[in-house]
Amino acid sequence: MIATSNVQRPTSNVERGEAAAPFSIGWRILAIIIGGLFIYAGVIKVLDPVGFAGDIDNYKTLPWPIGVRLAFYLPWLEILCGLALITRVLYRGGVFILTVLMAVFIVATIVAKARGLDISCGCFGHASQYLSFAWHLALDFLLLGGLLFLWRTPLPKDGATA
Amino acid sequence: MKTLLRQSLLLIGLALLPAAGQALYYRDKVSWQTPVAASEMVTLPQAQSWSADTIWIDARPQDEFEREHVPGALLLNEDRWNELLPQVLAVWAPEKRVVIYCSSESCGSSREIAHRLRKEAGLTNVFVLEGGWEAWKKEKQ
Repeated sequence: MIATSNVQRPTSNVERGEAAAPFSIGWRILAIIIGGLFIYAGVIKVLDPVGFAGDIDNYKTLPWPIGVRLAFYLPWLEILCGLALITRVLYRGGVFILTVLMAVFIVATIVAKARGLDISCGCFGHASQYLSFAWHLALDFLLLGGLLFLWRTPLPKDGATA
Repeated sequence: MKTLLRQSLLLIGLALLPAAGQALYYRDKVSWQTPVAASEMVTLPQAQSWSADTIWIDARPQDEFEREHVPGALLLNEDRWNELLPQVLAVWAPEKRVVIYCSSESCGSSREIAHRLRKEAGLTNVFVLEGGWEAWKKEKQ
């Protein structure tokens, strides 16, 4: 009789013991910073959905009826994904959605600028309107870079909460 | 991959709940079909017909304002909101109408300023000029 119980199946780094080691402090800090930024950005927009609807409309990409509905939805999605990053509940899903949102936003911003539109992203409320386009873009790419970096986060296991 | 998809769909679904609640709360406060309620837009001939009772506000950047603007218009933009708002409030009266314009139809600053004047300064009779400065220039040529 062959004892199969001792046979180890090949496992990835993430699943191996070293990945199950405590969540590195560096990853945690990065996830908390990025998650916190998205929560902040989401809360600001939740407080003024009409203003955010106007910001979406400035991009002249979506018809108003869709833009205004997104203005009510996207901030909550940002907040939940930000919370996912901080609490590590639904972590992978949170990182994935925020990465997609960030990439779409960067493309939309560049296209709008190329079309000569007078845009204001309103991402961080009125405070962000004092930033130049170059600074906006630099900040966006920094966030996107951080999110891509978080994809490499070692997690104890890819279970329901991580 | 399956976990990623499941988690993403769960987050997307969860976000719908508070969003739907908030949209319900705002159902009568938002214009769902047009960017600005038709009653808050004004055409150039209409605004000109209001004559002396109108306060014109230029929401463009300062250099564009200094180059040319609607006669008598006051500068009020996002960059210098706190600094410039008092001059608007000084001439405003409840019976007066406020008409705001920015560069063109595509710019959003006039709508943003109109929104802030209503929300933060509590002004009424605030309108956005259709076509903005371009419409004014076109009419004057």
